[in-house]
Amino acid sequence: MIGKERTMRSVRVFLALGLAGAACGGSSATPDDTGDDVPADEWDRRLTERVVDYNAALRTAALRLTGDLPTLAEIKAVADAGDAAAQKVVYESLLRSYLEGPRFAGQMLRFWRDTMRLGESATMDTAPRFAAQLAVENRSYAELLTATTGTCPTYDAAAGTFTAGNCDNGLASAAGVLSNPAVMAQFSSNMAFRRVRWVQETFACTAFPTELTGAQPEGAPAFLSPWPMDSIAGTANGGTVDFHDQSAVICANCHTTMNHLAPLFAYFDDAGQLQSTIQVKTPLPGNPLALRSDWLPGAEPTAWRFGRQTPDLASLGVAMAADPAIAECAVARLWNWALGRGDIVDTLATVPTEVITAQVAAFTANGMKLKDAIFAVYASDDFVRF
Amino acid sequence: MRTYLCLPPALLMLACTGELATGEPPLPTGNASAGTENTFDHPDSNIDVWELLDRMKAEGPPRYAARMHGCAKLKYDTLGRLLASRGVDLAATGALSAGKLYRDGDQALGAPNFGARQRESRELTTATASKMFDIFVQAAPEIIAAMPSLPACQVAGQGATMFNADNQCTPDGIACLLGVPATPSHLELCNLAVTRASDVEKGKRIAVASLLAAANTCE
Repeated sequence: MIGKERTMRSVRVFLALGLAGAACGGSSATPDDTGDDVPADEWDRRLTERVVDYNAALRTAALRLTGDLPTLAEIKAVADAGDAAAQKVVYESLLRSYLEGPRFAGQMLRFWRDTMRLGESATMDTAPRFAAQLAVENRSYAELLTATTGTCPTYDAAAGTFTAGNCDNGLASAAGVLSNPAVMAQFSSNMAFRRVRWVQETFACTAFPTELTGAQPEGAPAFLSPWPMDSIAGTANGGTVDFHDQSAVICANCHTTMNHLAPLFAYFDDAGQLQSTIQVKTPLPGNPLALRSDWLPGAEPTAWRFGRQTPDLASLGVAMAADPAIAECAVARLWNWALGRGDIVDTLATVPTEVITAQVAAFTANGMKLKDAIFAVYASDDFVRF
Repeated sequence: MRTYLCLPPALLMLACTGELATGEPPLPTGNASAGTENTFDHPDSNIDVWELLDRMKAEGPPRYAARMHGCAKLKYDTLGRLLASRGVDLAATGALSAGKLYRDGDQALGAPNFGARQRESRELTTATASKMFDIFVQAAPEIIAAMPSLPACQVAGQGATMFNADNQCTPDGIACLLGVPATPSHLELCNLAVTRASDVEKGKRIAVASLLAAANTCE
């Protein structure tokens, strides 16, 4: 799965990467065949020129993790610690204190508001609050997608603490934030596609299209999805919108994935309340309510990805949590936040897998615990070098 | 085969919204392009590939850029907390007070607009930089006056001062203002700003505002 999404990401920036690489004096890591430790190209050389600066790292970490500058006492504690090894000890001790302090909860809430693109009101904050709670309490990131209760907590800003609470939007059992009423309301749209896109971009870190086989026969249309074209609806097999259309672009490159997800989010109304019937409309004259056959023909099942059937939101959450691309995305988002980079999807501030291999491996092996992952990023060699 | 998808995303989005070359045959009924009979618009949010190219020329390839600290704009909330912890009254109502400039400047300072599903801007625009400098200039006298009594600027109960009795900048004052230890360059530039101004008080104000603006170009 990761491989395919990586391939897609590469495809989407193919021209820019190639041209920029040429402009930058080397499009990719050149194998160093000199047999010594000489950096392979200009960019590798620049990386080796960075120096460890725990005071600069402390300033950045304090701003991100507490939302304020370090105190003069903290600055002096690092500066006066002695050599780099001693400074590292003091720096990491302060990092831990930031992560355990009440201000970290507020910073996490703001980070997740920004990541999820919603919040700042009691109702709209519920999803960011739940994510922030998981981080503050060092719980598993998987709960963000799989928790069945406690997904709409309340928050005490002064104490930086959360109190578990259930969302009141008609579900007997939640599916993390995938069933959150604020998310459903904020990203309400025709055919639930905005909700699907939110799920994809927030948790998988790539825009659609996201599934590619790259194995189409020569001369065939550029339909690269692993799904059969007729696994989704078109006007030829019972749908009212022709997702098989190829007159301008190959709609099915994105919609084979999207249509297998959208029906799962279609029963929430504009206020995010779950109803017994489909609530979203089609973008056709008169805006009729969508039918299941508008996304998928016959009994075609819903799915997270090709071959990963998910009949309901709970199974979707489980499938996503088990997808390595989701864990990598979580770490990549934390990485970009720490290093002051833009959104990984909106600005294509991609984080190559090899850059965060150690963090992703530790995150996965450690039960996807968020606070531990944050510490690992802020204590990483790249973070403390400038 | 891959060539098709290698077209810049912007071009593909253009196709999605039905604005490709005029003069082509009418699109068949039921196609996915936007038109007067439907609202099949797809969000035009793909990054401009040429903008991306320019950025990558400056920042380097992802394997390099991802390992370097970026220069993200100071977040709106963070700026508020930074000012407050350094002695600025954010509730001040004076027309030109730093607190009012901050409170009224959320848009210029790039605050998020979650109602429109927009996250906070992380780019330091000219408008944002100008607004921040206006705030820092107005905040400087408050910061200078408050610094000795600020908890954030005390060590073992002893408060730092921004300037000594000779109107020279102090290392501890600069460190507390910036969040990093003062360097000789910081001290030299700070003192130059004071001595070269038309009067000492203006010089102190310019020194503090300039240091803040420079230090907070990036979060």
